[in-house]
Amino acid sequence: MPPRKLYFENLRIGDELPAMAKAPIDRVQLARYAAATNDYNPLNIDELQAKAIGMPSVVAPSTLGLGFLGQLVTDWARGGQVRRASARFTRMLWPGDTLVCKGRVSDRWGEGGRYFVELDVWAENQKGELVVRGTVALKVFYSFEDETRFRTGQPPLIVNVPRESLLHAPPAPAPAPSSTASKPPKGKPAASKKPAKKATRSAPKKKAAPKKPAKPKKTGARKPAKSSKRKK
Amino acid sequence: MLDRSAVGRTTPPTLNEVERGAIRRFAEALGDYNPIYFDGEYARASGFSNVAAPPSFPISFASGSDLRELVGVPSRSLLLGEVSFEYERPIVAGDRLLVTSRVAEIADRTGPAGRVEVAVIEDEGRDEEGHLVFRARRSYVVRATRES
Repeated sequence: MPPRKLYFENLRIGDELPAMAKAPIDRVQLARYAAATNDYNPLNIDELQAKAIGMPSVVAPSTLGLGFLGQLVTDWARGGQVRRASARFTRMLWPGDTLVCKGRVSDRWGEGGRYFVELDVWAENQKGELVVRGTVALKVFYSFEDETRFRTGQPPLIVNVPRESLLHAPPAPAPAPSSTASKPPKGKPAASKKPAKKATRSAPKKKAAPKKPAKPKKTGARKPAKSSKRKK
Repeated sequence: MLDRSAVGRTTPPTLNEVERGAIRRFAEALGDYNPIYFDGEYARASGFSNVAAPPSFPISFASGSDLRELVGVPSRSLLLGEVSFEYERPIVAGDRLLVTSRVAEIADRTGPAGRVEVAVIEDEGRDEEGHLVFRARRSYVVRATRES
């Protein structure tokens, strides 16, 4: 079964990733993760040593939470490739913690036939406390056509999309850009072919701080496309 | 106490062979059963050249033990505060990467809990032709414990 793809043309700032709830972290997982990362820090796997230095139990490596965020994004991205990922760890992770991972599209842009989507991602524990938060940039195809071109060795589809977050910048003092893009007046010289650079280009990128969404979206609530039933 | 003279210290390139089995065990440890980590055909249909490595997989390249050599304190005394990865292309099974780690910064910072020592390590992985594949940056703070 060919994987379903995620395309740039269908994404918008503010789109939310379906929230992903993980099973509680347990000590078996910590042992497996220690083996998989080849990092046998005793504080992650040796209860006695952890207690000896005053910790209530072993602690999970914070990168485990990052791994969960990677899962959130990769599940959603369906073939989109992670180009950049960063995370800040704000709280320790303990056995028994149950994390819910969430994310939202914070920006998107395309230039020279390459298309990127930026996401704010974060995870909360069972008390609703933020444990890790980060950003991820994905490279995606613009559309099915763009992908087909790539696969058949043709040049990419070129659609220049300025960083969309800049379009949402606070209103500039300059008059609003007129939307004459579709029909340039006849008398104008051909120089106006290039899309007008946005005046806000040099403005510092405004990050929409991920205000916590009030409710986690139900996971797995993906409805099968309803085929309009028509009885013959 | 971090070794202040460590800034600039760099490990020799270490060959990391990205094995399918290692990717599988990493994904399983996360509880992540996305077929791009397990099924080569599915991964190729998804646009990867082979079974892909999860985004945080380079963590497994840096073993905790080299931190002691790099900054003078064992990894158990360090708390990872931030990490970032940049990829030139996805890492896939069969990659042979030469990975180096470098101490980029050692500093004192004032945080909510007072003054803390911070160490920043930068890693980079190149293929055998010397092409950059990924960069990583890890920021640690020295853990305050009752350890003597």
